[in-house]
Amino acid sequence: MRTYLHKSFKKLSQTGDPKIKFLLNTVRLMENDQTKEYGLGDIDSLEEKLALTFLNPNDYESINPSKKPNLKISSKYGEVVVKVVEDENVHEGTILMPISIWSNQLTGVKGTKLIYKNISVDLEATEQKLDDFKSILKKIRGA
Amino acid sequence: MERYVCTGCSLLCDDIIVSSDGIYIDQVIGACLKGKERFDLVNSENRILNPLVRQNNILEKASWDLALDKTTELLKNAKNPLLYGFSTTSCEAQLRGLELASDINGFIDSNSSICQGKVLNETINAGITFSTITEIINKADLIILWGCNAAESIPRLLNKTLYSRGKFRITGREIKTLIIIDPVKNASFNTMGVRDIPLIIKPGKDLELIKALKENCCATEGTPPEGVAGLDKEDMRRLLQQLGGAEYGVIFVGQGLLTPLENSNLITELLELVNIINSKQQKGRISVMMMGGHYNMVGFDHVALSMYGKNGAIQFKDNHFTNTDDTLITKIQNEDFDCSLFIGTDPISHLPFSLSSKLVKKPIILIDNHKNASYEFANIVLPTAITGIECDGLAYRLDHIPIEVKKIINPPNKIPTDADLLTQIIQKIKSNR
Repeated sequence: MRTYLHKSFKKLSQTGDPKIKFLLNTVRLMENDQTKEYGLGDIDSLEEKLALTFLNPNDYESINPSKKPNLKISSKYGEVVVKVVEDENVHEGTILMPISIWSNQLTGVKGTKLIYKNISVDLEATEQKLDDFKSILKKIRGA
Repeated sequence: MERYVCTGCSLLCDDIIVSSDGIYIDQVIGACLKGKERFDLVNSENRILNPLVRQNNILEKASWDLALDKTTELLKNAKNPLLYGFSTTSCEAQLRGLELASDINGFIDSNSSICQGKVLNETINAGITFSTITEIINKADLIILWGCNAAESIPRLLNKTLYSRGKFRITGREIKTLIIIDPVKNASFNTMGVRDIPLIIKPGKDLELIKALKENCCATEGTPPEGVAGLDKEDMRRLLQQLGGAEYGVIFVGQGLLTPLENSNLITELLELVNIINSKQQKGRISVMMMGGHYNMVGFDHVALSMYGKNGAIQFKDNHFTNTDDTLITKIQNEDFDCSLFIGTDPISHLPFSLSSKLVKKPIILIDNHKNASYEFANIVLPTAITGIECDGLAYRLDHIPIEVKKIINPPNKIPTDADLLTQIIQKIKSNR
């Protein structure tokens, strides 16, 4: 069962290296569907449903964050700040993100192929506010 | 009340009951959540109801004449236009899209090229044992979801194939086995019963599993004691038993298997595995089906193949088809385009940042029925009717069966269909020469 986490992360102070390597998979989910949000939702629902990542509760503990509400995810293709959703169905060592403009800040191109799965990412708990829709658009425009 | 085809996804369910007076839709019965969302689009606040033209960096409401003049001017002056999308339009619109690309010497491609079209391309060399939904309903005793989450991407697929009773499967669900191979325990796992086999493999280890299955095909002796790809020996035994013993099995392939690898191709390996199994089987067979999500993704493959012998990445030069090694990715990556036209798609959202940031540097014409991220960057926005609700058309189901979709109500503001709009653009370009 998915639980949206509004509580603060724990134990970040105990970790030496706040960055931990994970594998990112982008997935299509009915409840977190960008077509639905663009078609029927608004910017708030878009951010609520798509600016997030699913993480195994054990990994969530091992990341040891404390009092940091969001997660900065970095891959060799880019980085994004999103909120975390605990999900015990996610394999330990991996994170899931719904296919969206947020997850596509981390996906990339290798040769002539698009890379949407098994992307090596660093996770870091952060106090930065999540990247909202407008800031992502600005980033795309400004690149 | 009348039966209509739902264009919510590529399953194109033809058993949707709609109550309508031809002006409003009163009731929709039998549609899944995705189908319902498609119908909800009709009156969505995010619906685009008027043409828009960007002036002083602001998208402003414009007349159809002005918007079409601007579109024609942009496309006529473009030396290297890029046309992309076409998987949520009718085959008629896809045909017009190819015609337009030919007229303006453009490069045209559909969403299929980054999705199930990849499988089609591999079948040229490896071959494919294919199936239809009807065949699966009537004959299948084994359904495998590999790297796909059918419950959330094509919600009624399992209702139709797993829970149905077919001519040779009168007992229905009881006689059918479901196997799910996925690194994520996704929503499809919730449909599993006692005799089904959930196989949660290690992420990125599909190739290891396919190779082990090829080596040990129909025999478990070769399975190493430690198992393969996160599956133990018992899992492997049950999987091999099912693959080798099924009378009629189907493997649904999702994006999870389309991930590119350094020196191998997962799809080729899978198709070879299926060929090995089928050649060893005395009476049964396994087939493969791609899980493209958009309702007419398959349509573009068929239309383009029938016109030019190629299912995507089609380049025109001197108004004729020309062979090219370019793909959508290389075109964008090399910034080898000077304007783009997107129809029924949102590449700014669904392509990686390295590509979307290049797309927005050149003028964009967007043809769609609702707002999205590409809308935010478009120079010209042209609204169109929702196919299958506000206009007729032909679409191809995920099993490559053509299905006519019907109009239920008129579109608002006399918005044209995709096909009509593209025809108008083609005519305008021709008349301005």
